[in-house]
Amino acid sequence: MPHVVEGNAVNTDDALLPLSQIAACFEGLIPAEIATAAADGTPNVTHLSRVHMVDDEHVALSNQFFSKTVQNLAVNPRACICVVDPFTYDSYRLVLQYERTERRGPLFERMRRDIDAIAALTGMEGVFKLRSADVYRVVELDLVRAAAHEQEEAEARR
Amino acid sequence: MIDPDSVELMESPCSLIVGTVDAHGLPDATRAWGVQVLEGGTQLRLLLATNARISAANLGSTGRIALTATHFRTLRSVQVKGIARVVEAATDADRALFHDFCAKCVRTLHEIDDTPEAIIWRFAPSGVVACVMTVDEIFDQTPGPEAGKCLTSSKATP
Repeated sequence: MPHVVEGNAVNTDDALLPLSQIAACFEGLIPAEIATAAADGTPNVTHLSRVHMVDDEHVALSNQFFSKTVQNLAVNPRACICVVDPFTYDSYRLVLQYERTERRGPLFERMRRDIDAIAALTGMEGVFKLRSADVYRVVELDLVRAAAHEQEEAEARR
Repeated sequence: MIDPDSVELMESPCSLIVGTVDAHGLPDATRAWGVQVLEGGTQLRLLLATNARISAANLGSTGRIALTATHFRTLRSVQVKGIARVVEAATDADRALFHDFCAKCVRTLHEIDDTPEAIIWRFAPSGVVACVMTVDEIFDQTPGPEAGKCLTSSKATP
């Protein structure tokens, strides 16, 4: 299970949070962001239209182009993504470790349908094409502190 | 170094995402909360959340940073890569920029999808710190197969 980290300080009681508890973050309503690093340590950061929840410990990312993100992950299989709950605007930071690539099967087909739908909506049919579904294990999960959280905690302490 | 269109994009209400990397090559993703283009586009003053401690530590360690700015409506994006080693307390001018940036972003996002402004404000951090980034390279990051195309580089070609 992913470890919950709050406010960038590791929760020492080793609390666990299944990804299904933040499932709204994976609906694709608000784009996510992903940071990767090249072999020479140069970071790359870009948006993701959607992060797919595979199970309580894994997410999948679509590989459509031979992008810098894909190139970086080929040499340094760790990434950091941020996802947002579209209903509360709570934000979460996930550290990922690459596990496997799928080029067929239910997950691949689900992601292909999703990408085809996005392509149709944006008039990009034939441009967006799923090459593979890359599956990552979530090794760290962090609720990103926002002003609203600090205010709620202050009120709870009163 | 940064062309006027990209300056306009970065200094407008837009999505600002930041990638950094630690000494072991582990990337981190966070958001920026306002940017000011300096010195004819060779430097940026960038505002990070006060609790973006991992990013700040990474800058102190490696200094490597990537910033992607994306227009909320058109998704036109540019990515700037460079070095930022010093994270410092925000000035009054930085705080004014932060509040102005947040207010304009919240208004724009509300206009796009009608999410109540109070919900969007939950996303904002309680405060910011600043860093000055020296720009080495600029890339077109607009979604699609051309994403990642280098627009300008101050790095010597091999």
